[in-house]
Amino acid sequence: MNLDPIHLLLQTLLLLALAPLLSGTIRSWKAKLQNRRGPRPWQAFLDIAKFLRKDMVIPEHASWIFHFAPYVVFLSALLAGLMVPMLRIPAPLSLFGGALALVGLLALGRFFLALGGLDPASAFGGMGSSREMTVSAIAEPALMLAIFTVAITAGSTDLSQMARTTQSTAFNLLNPAHVLAFAAIFIVLLAETGRIPVDNPATHLELTMIHEAMLLEYSGRYLAYMEWGASVKQLVLMTLLVNVFFPVGLAGADAGPLALAFSLAAYAAKLLALCAAVVVVETTNAKLRLFRVPDLLSAAFVLAALALLSMFLFR
Amino acid sequence: MNLDRVSPDLRPIAEDIARRFGNRIDAWDTPRPNEVYVHASMDLAAGFCAHLHRRWNVRLIAVFADDFRNEGGVFHLYYALAADAAHGFVFLRAPVSPDTPQFTSLANAIPALNWQEREVQDMFGLKLVGHPNPRRCALHDDWPEVYPLRKDFGLHTVLPPFQGERHKFRQVEGEGVFQVPVGPVHAGIIEPGHFLFSVAGEPVLYLQLRMFYVHKGAEKLFEHLPPPHAVRLAESISGDSSFAHATAFCHAIERAANVEAPPRARGIRSVCLELERIYNHVADIGAICTDVAFVTAHMHAMRLKEAVLCACEELTGSRLLRGMACLGGVRFDWDAGQIALLRALTARLRPEFDSLVELIDGSSSTRDRLETTGILQPKVARDLGVVGIAGRASGFDHDLRRDFPHAAYDQVKISVPVYQAGDVKHRLQVRVDEVRESFSIVEQLAARLPAGPVRSEIGELPAGRVALGYVEGWRGEIFHWIRTAPGNRLARCKIKDPSLQNWPALSEAILGNIVPDFPVVNKSFNLSYSGTDR
Repeated sequence: MNLDPIHLLLQTLLLLALAPLLSGTIRSWKAKLQNRRGPRPWQAFLDIAKFLRKDMVIPEHASWIFHFAPYVVFLSALLAGLMVPMLRIPAPLSLFGGALALVGLLALGRFFLALGGLDPASAFGGMGSSREMTVSAIAEPALMLAIFTVAITAGSTDLSQMARTTQSTAFNLLNPAHVLAFAAIFIVLLAETGRIPVDNPATHLELTMIHEAMLLEYSGRYLAYMEWGASVKQLVLMTLLVNVFFPVGLAGADAGPLALAFSLAAYAAKLLALCAAVVVVETTNAKLRLFRVPDLLSAAFVLAALALLSMFLFR
Repeated sequence: MNLDRVSPDLRPIAEDIARRFGNRIDAWDTPRPNEVYVHASMDLAAGFCAHLHRRWNVRLIAVFADDFRNEGGVFHLYYALAADAAHGFVFLRAPVSPDTPQFTSLANAIPALNWQEREVQDMFGLKLVGHPNPRRCALHDDWPEVYPLRKDFGLHTVLPPFQGERHKFRQVEGEGVFQVPVGPVHAGIIEPGHFLFSVAGEPVLYLQLRMFYVHKGAEKLFEHLPPPHAVRLAESISGDSSFAHATAFCHAIERAANVEAPPRARGIRSVCLELERIYNHVADIGAICTDVAFVTAHMHAMRLKEAVLCACEELTGSRLLRGMACLGGVRFDWDAGQIALLRALTARLRPEFDSLVELIDGSSSTRDRLETTGILQPKVARDLGVVGIAGRASGFDHDLRRDFPHAAYDQVKISVPVYQAGDVKHRLQVRVDEVRESFSIVEQLAARLPAGPVRSEIGELPAGRVALGYVEGWRGEIFHWIRTAPGNRLARCKIKDPSLQNWPALSEAILGNIVPDFPVVNKSFNLSYSGTDR
């Protein structure tokens, strides 16, 4: 496998451009479903552009970690994104790592995000970091377990290889193991991207925040990287769901422009369908009590474990 | 002593007081049948209040002071008691000599008086004796030793900048215990208040409240305004209760002048009070849902609130009913079209409100967040004298509209929702029940609003009169007590907003809950910072 520079560049741009658009679309649809007019989907871009232009206010007690964290959060999400096949198999960086590297990179980003929340020693940042770590301590194993279910079929933890296996006609999309693992990752997606019922991305109440609490002290450029990084991470997880589990339309290594265009259209359609699911969940549910979030994530873990079990039972 | 003027309901209590405390009572005064003043020395206060509470289930609604030195050479301390079953108020008036400016605290026996007694101490410089925590309260530590409500303190006094030590917050210690300071400046458009959480992980061990960041000197200002202008000031005591506060003030003035608002004006007042209740309750129901991230219900609630506000504008010229209240009645009369609009409003809102309630009740995730959250035990509520919505969710079976019918509430059927559970869900439920009740009251009044004028003339106020005005606002009972001065002025205007009474209950309700549940518990009380600190 060669590193294809054009493909690499294309996927990087796609990640950067599509991620805020996706966040904006979710926000816009949510508003529509609540009888509001809401922001336009591309508002998320305008926000990032605005943050990039603004001056920063740096807390007095912040150390180098505070300055370092936004870059780590942003770049780790971006790197993780390059390991997931978006339009074409294999993914541009599939050579460098598979599912484990992806989970590891996301963990690295989260680790620095939590440190960045703790570093300025504000009361809310610490609460946010502690909650984020509590949530991810259960979300992460569930994610790993669910990915392993597919990895066992594929015989590889390489995400591109997994997508290829799923794409092959021999594989049944309605395999119970597959469905259970998908459900598990969907719950993890809600938790990892700070969605209702785990976290509320639209709240102004610092005491209830998880993800936003860690960002409270960030402003200007750093905030832009943090927000952008978070939306890229969301896109990565969503791509994982739609392309590894439903690699319909995903183009092969030697695909022409037409096949790529078809791949893009299929990809967009699948993402929008997933967005719609997230929007419905967010609109019809209240946030869980913080101490019930582990229950939800344990459910994800159990689903993933069942997926793994049924993998062997129904083989 | 002449008890003939006392209303028949209140007379047994007055006779009992005369029998039991007669030899220690210096004077009686009955300016109105349901308002009795007993003049006695300070030592009587504890026994007097305790006896009336035990024998007649009378509750202490306010403690306040009045600088009476120019007229009588002493300060007056008032203990205002409400006898709900007898539909009357009893006041104990105790002189405090300026030579020994101190008074005995009752806060140990009646915790509900904690802040009120300290407010008297801060504002009048009457030292508390025997108070468990006699620190500064209404005026912060950075105030110099001045007593703003004394007559010799000029309205335009400029105070020197802060010197000395800042406020020391109570320390809570232990392994893994952290203190989380929140405020006084908050996210969102709300008023300032400081909340210091002591937490072990997420559960709250202790919550210290520090209010009184918005002192505006309103009570002092009342003493310098002619009453018709003061109505506008009363409107701004708490912006979400502007009509209720203004009406309570007008009620006090009317009682002092022995003038009653005409029947039509009283009907219109009741309708406006109910409109204020509906728009605030509906907004709160939505806001409680927002705080548990059930935004859909919030958006529907905002839509309903907007409909009420638009109707308010059609009816009074102001979305928040500003400028409608006036001495002797109301400013504007309503024509048949406006009354039809009122009927159309309730007809439209009833089904929509029902479906909003159904939406909330049908959302199991929302119910899970609200039930058993932030429980205020009825016993604690009773000790703290919690009133209004929060009180009624914790077993407080009182409503001025039923027990002391003011405005046109004697013309309508009212049922008061009372629950014992005291959690967020039941504070929400009290609001739901009251909105439905308000629809019915508005319909009853709109159907038979008496004809006639909407305003009685109030001439110059006679000097030296005292009067209590009362209104059941949407948040709870509002009292305005006034004493008139020569030249159509007020010598004193004491304002009692339910928030002052209810804030300490929040500290109790949050205990054992987790930090992220605080916003929804706080919202379920929805107290006014401005009304607490006038």
